[in-house]
Amino acid sequence: KLRQGSNDDIEDVSLFDADDDVSRRSKKSKIRHPVASFFHLFFRVSAIVVYLLCELLTSSFIACMVTIILLLSCDFWAVKNVTGRLMVGLRWWNQVDDDGRSHWVFEARKVSAQGSKTSSEAESRIFWLGLITCPMIWVIFAFSALFSFKVKWLAVVVMGVVLQGANLYGYIRCKVGSRKNLTSMATSYLGKQFLRQTVAKEDQTAS
Amino acid sequence: MRDLKAVGKKFVHVMYPKKSSALLRDWDLWGPLVLCVSLALMLQGGSADSKDDGGPQFAEVFVIIWFGAVVITLNSKLLGGTISFFQSLCVLGYCVLPLTVAMLVCRLVLLAGSGTVSFVIRLIVVVAMFGWSTLASTAFLADSQPPNRKALVVYPIFLFYFVISWMILTFTPQ
Repeated sequence: KLRQGSNDDIEDVSLFDADDDVSRRSKKSKIRHPVASFFHLFFRVSAIVVYLLCELLTSSFIACMVTIILLLSCDFWAVKNVTGRLMVGLRWWNQVDDDGRSHWVFEARKVSAQGSKTSSEAESRIFWLGLITCPMIWVIFAFSALFSFKVKWLAVVVMGVVLQGANLYGYIRCKVGSRKNLTSMATSYLGKQFLRQTVAKEDQTAS
Repeated sequence: MRDLKAVGKKFVHVMYPKKSSALLRDWDLWGPLVLCVSLALMLQGGSADSKDDGGPQFAEVFVIIWFGAVVITLNSKLLGGTISFFQSLCVLGYCVLPLTVAMLVCRLVLLAGSGTVSFVIRLIVVVAMFGWSTLASTAFLADSQPPNRKALVVYPIFLFYFVISWMILTFTPQ
């Protein structure tokens, strides 16, 4: 396995880079790994669809539950091991040292000089879209199961939240880089937004 | 496929619990998931209320196994163990394998009949597998504790596998 020793080589990719589209004309917008992109979304979306339609599809609660569990597990494995690496060049894993201590490693692929290995925009968008929206949908399901007292579904929903949330957290850590603190980044972003809003309000009241 | 081979190797390690670090070092939770799902499926059709087609029972078994494993792991960590969270979950999950085998045997025996003889056979099989599970997991987990605390760590594991064995033994098909 190729291991990047020094952290200086890892490019600092900002998470909210929607403004930089114009400057990156060289990036292709084709999808380079159609199979990976398809499966990235397929397992997640079908787990959600099966959860919503389980009453209609089959009267057996167990069949639904086992199907959803299997889909969630396949999705977790696929996103963690395959699609993250192929689509956006990020990966994370758990490392156990020789003396038994375990720690988590987050890596981002170094951008090569020719730029031939840069990930395409479309793939990146598909990846992050699928990665962020699905855990949020499972959290909504969790609240609805809790408040409508459908407790027997709670196990499945909690599993969905945990598995997909774990992938989301891992990839955000990879993207941010192990140097920066996640909370400090969030605070600085929120601080900028707050500043923008107060300045806009002052302009409004002044004019 | 490398993952599949790793899972298979761990199953073999559970059946012959030697003091190896393969289970501890490269933990994975696929084996426990498969065992948990198959055990929960085999415990269906039991003597509970049948109007829910055994639905809540499946989720109950699932929750008991995972929640029980989490509680044991927390307990061992609070007692100052050196093993990590997921490694402990991995070991506890894989050591459910003997009890899954016992469940399979029980179901087969119950196909033949449910009299006293079958009960005695099931009792012997379940007790033997329960002992095997407890010994296998203790062999892996107790080492990470200081010697005067080993009993405090072994006792919840004993209870955990006892509850699962109880569910297996009291299973009566309709």
